[in-house]
Amino acid sequence: MNQAATSCASCGAALEFPLACSACGTLAAPEREPGPFEVLGLAPQYFVDAADVKKRALRLGRLLHPDYFGAADEATRALAERNTARLNRARDVLLDASARGDWLVRALGGPSENEQREMPKAFLLEVLEWNQQLEEARANAARDHARLEALRNDLEAQRAAALAALARVLEPLPQPASPALREARAQLNVLRYLDNALAQVEALELDTHSPRA
Amino acid sequence: MGFIELNVLNNAAQNIALGIDLGTTNSLGAMWKDGRPIVLHPEGDSGYVPSAIHFPEKGMPAVGRRARELALVDPAHTLMSIKRFMGRGLAETREDAASVPCALSENENGVVQFEMRGRKFTPQELSALILMKVHDQACKALGGIEVTKVVITVPAYFDEAQRQATRDAARIAGLDVLRIINEPTAASLAYGLDQRKQGTVAVFDLGGGTFDVSILSIEDGVFQVLATHGDTHLGGDDFDRMLVEVARRELSALLAPSVLEDRAFLQSLRLAAEKCKIELSSAPEAYMHLAMPESGVQWRRNFTRAEAEALWAPLIERTIHSCQRALADAKLKVAQIDEVVLVGGSTRIPAVRERVERFFNRKPHVELNPDEVVALGAAVQAHVLMGGTREVLLMDVTPLSLGLETMGGAVAKIINRNSTIPCQATEGFTTYADSQTGIEFHIVQGERELAKDCRTLGRFKLSGIPPMPAGMPKVAVRFHIDANGMLTVTAKEESTGKSARIEVQPMNGLTDEQVEGMLNAAYRHARDDFDARRAADLRTEIGVMVRATERGLTHAGAGLDRETGLDIEEALVKGRAALQGPLPDTSSLQRVRDELERATLPLAALLMDSVAKSALSGKKLSEV
Repeated sequence: MNQAATSCASCGAALEFPLACSACGTLAAPEREPGPFEVLGLAPQYFVDAADVKKRALRLGRLLHPDYFGAADEATRALAERNTARLNRARDVLLDASARGDWLVRALGGPSENEQREMPKAFLLEVLEWNQQLEEARANAARDHARLEALRNDLEAQRAAALAALARVLEPLPQPASPALREARAQLNVLRYLDNALAQVEALELDTHSPRA
Repeated sequence: MGFIELNVLNNAAQNIALGIDLGTTNSLGAMWKDGRPIVLHPEGDSGYVPSAIHFPEKGMPAVGRRARELALVDPAHTLMSIKRFMGRGLAETREDAASVPCALSENENGVVQFEMRGRKFTPQELSALILMKVHDQACKALGGIEVTKVVITVPAYFDEAQRQATRDAARIAGLDVLRIINEPTAASLAYGLDQRKQGTVAVFDLGGGTFDVSILSIEDGVFQVLATHGDTHLGGDDFDRMLVEVARRELSALLAPSVLEDRAFLQSLRLAAEKCKIELSSAPEAYMHLAMPESGVQWRRNFTRAEAEALWAPLIERTIHSCQRALADAKLKVAQIDEVVLVGGSTRIPAVRERVERFFNRKPHVELNPDEVVALGAAVQAHVLMGGTREVLLMDVTPLSLGLETMGGAVAKIINRNSTIPCQATEGFTTYADSQTGIEFHIVQGERELAKDCRTLGRFKLSGIPPMPAGMPKVAVRFHIDANGMLTVTAKEESTGKSARIEVQPMNGLTDEQVEGMLNAAYRHARDDFDARRAADLRTEIGVMVRATERGLTHAGAGLDRETGLDIEEALVKGRAALQGPLPDTSSLQRVRDELERATLPLAALLMDSVAKSALSGKKLSEV
């Protein structure tokens, strides 16, 4: 997770970002795949300043975007494509708490979502309850808007609680391979369930207005 | 003839790229000039090329306005709304096929073919003819310079197959596609630059055949698409069809069933419906006329705006539904939208405007011509791509999720819809049998949970995996959606570092060889046409130069030294000779023109001195 300190192959200036030189604009091809924090010249940590991330992404975007290499040779155009894809991915990860948490847990040697699927036990009963409510809402052609709204509020509240729990584990960052990472993964699994459930509620709500429904 | 000030157009062909809006109903070209995008049209012409093609009994098809006129008298041999067939198979185009005046078939890759005058044409080839016409008009407007680099717009909601078909059409037309960009995004570029806007903007784009809504944030020259939604089969054509259905029902009492199903009859009906629809945008009621002398039918039907609007309401509600989905994906509420921009000819329908205004709770912008704004935006993007500016940064999204079919027919999402492009994702695969050297997989695009409900992009076969025990190979497959919104797939076996081979079977798309073959056939004709026109244009130009030089010599010839005078005389003799007899070839005419220009430079300078400089700057000698 440490940063690769290299210099620009073209002008020799120290690289602020691993994907391009901010001094002369030359694109850089990193030897190994840089992590999302590294891409934006940041040290890995759970809390990020979203405004700062956006500002950095924009600055970097103005150096990397393939639109600015329309007249360049094919290899350079391909590198602009690849580096911009890396930037977009990094930006998405850093601006989304779940994605950020997921990356940090894996980078610190914690379990992946395939290696540890369980959620906290207290949460499971509620999951059963929500699943039933979603099932009922789907089965009922006439949407009960008030009930869907109540379900949404419930899910949102749980989501805020899960994010707070994740922050408690990951800020400051735990030691690599620490048991705390299992707790973080459990909260991430909760978040994944909640985001999925919220998406279903949203689909159901939009369906209410659908002329094709 | 000597140019007193360097005319940028003279040697700029390599620095110019065109923006082309390839529309369902009309197509248009634009370019960047003097700090802003302009529509390119030859003198006395609007520049719109109706996206229509007429096939005469003999000779080359007519494209554009002429074809559109011929549609009225010979509907059976005129094709329109070809864009709705791009990247589609026969089964998906049944609804549209009803208003096509000829038989349709499918080639071996599932590409629709129009059977016209004993020949088969794919939508790609037909679109290529339209692109050639637009390109031709644009080059004419530029005084005969041939520009081959283009930016072409597509509906934001176009999927991979539709984008690929558009790119293939451009290749067949002999054009070099710098970028495929989304229509609503292009519109926002033209609009944002024009109005110097900041904030969150919704672009509502209802064209002849497609609908898109895009939500963007515009700030300091950064145009970031937050979400897009749409329907590639919802546009003015569908509004026409609603009126056609009414007419068919009412005519069923008067006409034989064979007439009611007749393709030419349906095409006439469709044109009559379109005319009626357009009139209803400015009048409270309008007539739909149908005259078929051969069947002795004279039919006229009055539609009030209220009646038509009732028929159209379900279509308009579908656009609003898309707006809701785009807002939800952008995680925004209606109240957070600062501006609404209307694009596309169908936004002229008052009921559409009113519904959009009611939904967004604000008056939409209509300052820019909804038929031109997309081409203008494409010209802005072309300018950026040619290195003209870094002030503008466009960040668009992919409209549809990309996934792989998993065991049991479900879809594993690899890239989510509304991801900023370019984007990429890498997935790991391994073998399930010992010494297995290939893996097959099925790539789909769409939001549904089952692969069979999504659109197949292709079945990819990964081969060349070194023989190893099951589960040992680690094949990393990379999916990259580029800045055109188009997918490339690459694969690598990680334990050996070998690149695995990916074979793509295009679905509803042309193979490279097929495109190549069409290119050779179509482009050769276009080249010949282009050369002939260029030669004619050059001869006209030489004529103007000769006359201007003769005039210049009587005014200021005395002030020239002997050698320069002889030089000009020599060039004049060659110039006059080129105006006589059969048309010489382009390159010799070009030499004569260039020679005249060079030789007359001192004369131009002399004339400059003798007249007030300020009044002349930027003028050619022929304009003095």
